[in-house]
Amino acid sequence: MAQSKGWVRRYFKAFCKGFFVAVPVAVTFLDRVACVARVEGASMQPSLNPGGSQSSDVVLLNHWKVRNFEVQRGDIVSLVSTTANKTDPSSCPDDAYIIVKEDRQNRSPKNPEQKIIKRVIALEGDIVKTMGHKNRYVKVPRGHIWVEGDHHGHSFDSNSFGPVSLGLLHAHATHILWPPERWQKLESVLPPERLLVQSEAE
Amino acid sequence: MLYLCIEILTAIKRNNVQMHATTFRNLGNIMPGQWWQSLHRTMLRGVLGKTFRLVGYTIQYGCIAHCAFEYVGGVVMCSGPSMEPTIQNSDVVFAENLSRHFYGIQRGDIVIAKSPSDPKSNICKRVIGLEGDKILTNSPSDFFKSHSYVPTGHVWLEGDNLQNSTDSRYYGPIPYGLIRGRIFFKIWPLSDFGFLRDSPNGHRFSDD
Repeated sequence: MAQSKGWVRRYFKAFCKGFFVAVPVAVTFLDRVACVARVEGASMQPSLNPGGSQSSDVVLLNHWKVRNFEVQRGDIVSLVSTTANKTDPSSCPDDAYIIVKEDRQNRSPKNPEQKIIKRVIALEGDIVKTMGHKNRYVKVPRGHIWVEGDHHGHSFDSNSFGPVSLGLLHAHATHILWPPERWQKLESVLPPERLLVQSEAE
Repeated sequence: MLYLCIEILTAIKRNNVQMHATTFRNLGNIMPGQWWQSLHRTMLRGVLGKTFRLVGYTIQYGCIAHCAFEYVGGVVMCSGPSMEPTIQNSDVVFAENLSRHFYGIQRGDIVIAKSPSDPKSNICKRVIGLEGDKILTNSPSDFFKSHSYVPTGHVWLEGDNLQNSTDSRYYGPIPYGLIRGRIFFKIWPLSDFGFLRDSPNGHRFSDD
């Protein structure tokens, strides 16, 4: 009897020890190094979700690459959503967002912790020619970037909400992991029609 | 930190004992010439084990520290004049990050946020308006009153020292996602130990 009690206790102890090691290590890894997320919506077509609503790609998000807030023009990045109603389906039905924490997203569609996935068009100091923004030309302020979806007209991006602060940068999407036939590296390409009016001379 | 040291010491001690045990057990059934070789091998294994253990503990405690600072809170030193008289220059305060994750930031809270123009630096300001609030944006010298509404998912931040503060009156409302944590308790100087005072600029809050 006493021996069985000792067994239970020992197993419980080992479980607790493993638990307190595994959980912080896993959380830190997902926060700092890399995580995976599912992309929803059509605003990054044709790079992501080319099949429309029936397919949704799973991408690898590299946090380590953006630890110093360094991005290049053409990179596909994920950002913390700046406006809550962006995720409201009525405001923009085709917008691409990613689901990192699945349960929470389902619970509240108006979650400000929602992440969006977009392509970087311009960095700080660049002058960008907008499409549908209130100003025709915009100079991206210090510490900000200009992001757009690849699917023009079906994307809720900087043309609607203006330049985005770099502090909202979440991760750099580097690979498509799923479905297997679409496994590929995401190239950093700037759409040719979106060439800059003037980039900052350094 | 002390706990970490104790853990490492016990680990090393355990390792040493194990090493001696293996050495003496091996003594009986190996040739005399191989004795030193075997000892060297076990010692090497001990050193390697120690190194791995040290690396493991470093990673483990680093991860625990990251989780604590990211999700629970930590001690922060504030500098700069923008929050006087509530927080003086180089005061040490306690910040908690839980209310950010549960969306519990309210009007009047003092928050730490990433600066919108420089993501590597942090700012410390008071929340004056949440999304949808009407904010007075004119400077005191202006004759006409001008108002603006805080957009969805944004907050309006102002320092308590209105004359000497770069805040939302200068760069506009900032996104909620930039908020890192909420300051609620002052630790240093000891004469001011305790919860923080309310804003001296109560009239800046919207009425609704």
